[in-house]
Amino acid sequence: MTPVTVVWRYLQGRFVTSVLTVVSVALGVSLVIASVLLTRGIKEAFIAGATDYNLIVGAKGSPTQLVLNVIFRMDAPTPNIPLSTYENLRSDPRVEVAVPVAMGDAYQGFRYVATTEAYFAPFSWRRHVPALLTGRLFRNEAPERPDYEAVLGADAARRTGLKPEDRFYEGEEMAAYPLRVVGVLRPAGTADDRAIFISLGSYWEMNEISRKAMIKPLTAVLVRPKRLSDLPALHRGWNVGPDLQAALPSAILLNVFNLLGLVEDVLAVVLAVVAVVVGLYLFVTMYNATLERRREIATMRALGARRATVLGIVLLESCAIAALGGLAGILGGHGVAALGGSLLAARGGPVTQGLAFSALQPVTFGAVVALGALAGLLPAVLAYRTEVAENLAPL
Amino acid sequence: MTPAGPVLSLRGVTKSFPLADGGVLQVLDVEHLELPAAGCTVIRGRSGSGKTTLLNLIAGVSAPTDGTIVIHGTEITALPEARRDRFRAERIGYVFQSFNLLPAFSALENVVLAMMFARAIPRREQRPRARAILTRLGLGARLGHKPGQLSRGEQQRVAIARALANDPPLILADEPCASLDAATAREVLTVLLAVCREAAKTLLVVSHDEAVLAAGDRLLDMTTINARAEAAG
Repeated sequence: MTPVTVVWRYLQGRFVTSVLTVVSVALGVSLVIASVLLTRGIKEAFIAGATDYNLIVGAKGSPTQLVLNVIFRMDAPTPNIPLSTYENLRSDPRVEVAVPVAMGDAYQGFRYVATTEAYFAPFSWRRHVPALLTGRLFRNEAPERPDYEAVLGADAARRTGLKPEDRFYEGEEMAAYPLRVVGVLRPAGTADDRAIFISLGSYWEMNEISRKAMIKPLTAVLVRPKRLSDLPALHRGWNVGPDLQAALPSAILLNVFNLLGLVEDVLAVVLAVVAVVVGLYLFVTMYNATLERRREIATMRALGARRATVLGIVLLESCAIAALGGLAGILGGHGVAALGGSLLAARGGPVTQGLAFSALQPVTFGAVVALGALAGLLPAVLAYRTEVAENLAPL
Repeated sequence: MTPAGPVLSLRGVTKSFPLADGGVLQVLDVEHLELPAAGCTVIRGRSGSGKTTLLNLIAGVSAPTDGTIVIHGTEITALPEARRDRFRAERIGYVFQSFNLLPAFSALENVVLAMMFARAIPRREQRPRARAILTRLGLGARLGHKPGQLSRGEQQRVAIARALANDPPLILADEPCASLDAATAREVLTVLLAVCREAAKTLLVVSHDEAVLAAGDRLLDMTTINARAEAAG
């Protein structure tokens, strides 16, 4: 028998109280872990999904809405812009690449993104080039004779169950325009995973308004200047007119991170309060247990246990409860984060599944055990100072 | 090897407690007391005569206000607390009136705990030894039972086994039969005396139970030991 066995017997002896205390610690730790993982996942998703294009030109309005919708497929699309915007940008000598994008409706929640093959082109400056897992890209066909071909992002293919050569449409009014899957992209960890890419020609034919009004609308144009020194002039120039705006994705991302930073600050205060509440609960549990056990502690001392031994037993018990709660909380927190991430992703939110082992787990575990030691310190000192003769009096 | 001479010797031992009004209450004043090796000495005295205080001082769980206590040639009153704890664990067995078994532990574990604290018996030998002692005391079928699952007589026998766990030469028993009915008290007393005689232990019992008084080899009265017995009472 060792002090560890003694602690284990004590935990078993007060099974309900021990379990409730472990659950309380676990809930607090879960909250911390899930919050950190989700905020980190959202940040990482924003970083991973950030575009390599320096400028986005779209309809006048909120630049944040424009960037969130075009790059991260969040928020509602901004109003349409004419095809001529793209043509003007393409012919601008300061522009290296211009990619037109039109945001359409959705199939089973996965948004149609109409664009050209340039969207998938492996330019040397691109960090992430969408790559095919299977099949091929859609053709850049003549707009008046579209092929209705679709390339699915990895999540869109997995969740809809669609595979190459499958045909699909949503709603009876779209039955005349069935799309055919020609390719599936590799998972990229970006919003492209949840998109269904089609050609602009297919989009314009499928869109009743553009079909009847004989117009070719776009949502935005992604722009890469030849020289970064041209970026300010392009940005200013496209913001002068009354109908169009040019947004800098990096600046918008910075705004988003600033907002996330505020959320993190509030979260840190909430989590600190949770840590204090959990610590206090653990303290009260251990304090009451020590008060209840004063006779047993006195008996141990009478049997020859040193003061340091009884102090160690109480501290070890407090740390054991914290450690068990910490382990359960870390596992639970990952579960909650995975669930929250899935729910967020299903609603089109950007989040990575941060299940990788990092400093977070050992640091959290160490902090929880330290909290356990702190909460057990006063009860342990109480045990240390227990007067043997006083507490051995016959019952 | 037990040194020659008395097992226990008290000289000029006093114990006082501070009072709330700033005064002092002296409850024990033992000028001289010696206990010969082996045999059973019974100290009788009425409630409040300082019997338990005397045992606590001999066991070293509390320190005298003044005087010296020597057990087997070691002056325990001169030892620092940690060494006194170790000495008590190895050399003194204590049987309490209320048994004081730890409720979360089985009978076997209660006995092993005493060995764990003393660290005098190698760990691998602790369980077999505890099993053997409990079996000798008729508890072979109760090893895994917790105190709450044992009768009072069985609980006191576990407490006796615990006192014997580290093979101490001196066993102290504080009213060992006071919490038991007459029949169980007789049974427990018989067992306690038998194992102590069998292992040549020195047994010091404080009691006011007639059956216990009659069973000892030597009978002392608190009024002759403690000059403050009347005041304490």
